[in-house]
Amino acid sequence: MKQSIPLAPLQKVAWFNLIVFAIAVALYLMAVSFFEWHFHRTLGAASLNALGMFGVCGLWGFGVYFNYDRKRRAKANMDEREQLISLRASMVGFAIFCEIFVVLCMGVWAYLSYVRHQTTVPIGFLPFLVMLCTIVFVVTQSIAILVQYKRSAADDTL
Amino acid sequence: MTPSESAQLTNRIRKLRFEHGELTQQELADRVGVARQTIIALEAGKYAPSLLLAFRLAKTFGVKTEDVFQWDGQ
Repeated sequence: MKQSIPLAPLQKVAWFNLIVFAIAVALYLMAVSFFEWHFHRTLGAASLNALGMFGVCGLWGFGVYFNYDRKRRAKANMDEREQLISLRASMVGFAIFCEIFVVLCMGVWAYLSYVRHQTTVPIGFLPFLVMLCTIVFVVTQSIAILVQYKRSAADDTL
Repeated sequence: MTPSESAQLTNRIRKLRFEHGELTQQELADRVGVARQTIIALEAGKYAPSLLLAFRLAKTFGVKTEDVFQWDGQ
């Protein structure tokens, strides 16, 4: 007998994060087109201006409410296996975050100093870098959570 | 525990569930305080439980831990 398994709170958070990210990307693409068409910007300028649409990712903060599960209250909301999944996903996300952060920091610095002969990195680049790396961390972590749940749910017979 | 060692760890949880009034995975999960997905992963041999969870499972079935879990490793 097969029975569908309700999503665990951690899975709900992961799906929520990915949906918010997808909405942010869709809004960004729409904003680029809008700025090009309405304000007659070049593609490069419109792409930079539209980055503000990724502010939607701030909604990720509401993901914690999925951790409240009425059916599982008075019990540990995350059991030992789920804690392990969360830890592994965070480790994967942090590893990718560090790699991209270091590569971008050093890459931009190298480009500016050796190609453009500038000694400083523009201050506007810093929030962009932090935002990009945070997005990479959260998206990677969410995907890692879903992949781990998927791998262990192959057999769901009662 | 490495994946190969984990594969050597087998269990009789599914059999014991049916021997104990055809307990569903959800009922067993509620009794031992874990998610149903964890019981699924255990039965599929995809997760090696902590010592505490192993004892809780054995106590739920009223048997010894080694009657629930068997390890063929060296």
